[in-house]
Amino acid sequence: MIDALLLDCEQTEGGVNFLMKSVDLGSRLDVVPLYELGGVDLAAYRGLLIGLHADQRYLRARKAQLEAFLKGGGTIVFCGHVAYPFLDELVPYRAIPDYTVADLEVVRIADHPVWEGVDPAHLTFRRGVAGFYGRGANPPPPGARVIHALGPGRHPVDFEARPAAGGRLLVHAGADLWGYVDSNTSAARMAPQLLDWIAAEEETR
Amino acid sequence: MSLAVVEGGSYYHHETINAPRFRGRFDHAFYAPDLAEGDLDGFAAVMVADRVSPTVLRAKRRLFLRYLREGGTLIVLGENQAHTWAPGVEWTFRPTNFWWWLDKGTDPGHRIANPDHEIFRHVSQRSVVWHFHGLLHPPPGAIPLVTIAPEMGGGPHGTLLYDHPGVAGGKGRLVVTTLDPFYHNGSHFMPMATAFLGGLLDWTDATFRR
Repeated sequence: MIDALLLDCEQTEGGVNFLMKSVDLGSRLDVVPLYELGGVDLAAYRGLLIGLHADQRYLRARKAQLEAFLKGGGTIVFCGHVAYPFLDELVPYRAIPDYTVADLEVVRIADHPVWEGVDPAHLTFRRGVAGFYGRGANPPPPGARVIHALGPGRHPVDFEARPAAGGRLLVHAGADLWGYVDSNTSAARMAPQLLDWIAAEEETR
Repeated sequence: MSLAVVEGGSYYHHETINAPRFRGRFDHAFYAPDLAEGDLDGFAAVMVADRVSPTVLRAKRRLFLRYLREGGTLIVLGENQAHTWAPGVEWTFRPTNFWWWLDKGTDPGHRIANPDHEIFRHVSQRSVVWHFHGLLHPPPGAIPLVTIAPEMGGGPHGTLLYDHPGVAGGKGRLVVTTLDPFYHNGSHFMPMATAFLGGLLDWTDATFRR
């Protein structure tokens, strides 16, 4: 089995481009154009990576395929703001109204293998600027494990859930976690650790 | 007289078109993959939101060209690879300087080439000054509106926004930019992009929705 399939949305200068050319990570995943998802046999993959630019109306139309993948024990990772819930566990994004810098502080709520060794301060600030990591939340479903929250309002910016269909769902309400792979901070650990975490599920199936 | 927008199903399209800030500024929204023959007929202007799938836009290219041939006004925003499907559009890649504003006092190179153009009665000159995604090279007959100074890396004719009336020798009008305001506005992350889109929609209100 291949660790992950990444759905490409034809956008330049994103994490996809780094990931595809990385010898270590790139050899662990396939990349197909988003609109070819319908013709893909997802059983060949442990994980499915869906990024912020994805056409969610299309994904909503592929809901049955996504649920079948989960039912087979697959892991779906979604980064972005939910606009068209394409899985039952997804709820439309809520921005933090009129946020201040304090609202954008990334606070670790629970440890998670994907973020092991990642300093939350490296998520809060990029070149001294706050807000890249998240500015709101995709409200988690009941029973989800919140991993990071934002600011004193504790807006859940990352969560992991066990979908009713099966499998695992990891959701980040911001730009692609694999987009940090070229960062020179501990944030660069997220991409390899994400693939490791997806692959590790195989042992517990 | 009315304005249609063509969108791509991404969250920032949904947010920009449906959230209270710009709700009601578009008379109709078309989901690009579903765009069909005749859909664009009768609209005074059609705006293609930034960051719609270039593959989908190329697949719908004939509908856009026919709309232009019939005398329509097509407004194409950034990151749509318009140079692969829209008439006369030439573009070159430049690495995006997302961080230019961290150095206070830096001149990012933006110049207003034709300040008397009708768009600048609505779009404030400062609202176009932010990072940009490559440079357009307007063909003969096009009116450059925002350029990047040659000494700031714009080279000859490096342009971020232009207006091409009578595009391809016909009745249509093509307005093109490399700026991507739907993405930034819909991501709640760059007030200047929101200001630019607000100005652009003030212009479309005044010009195409009277």
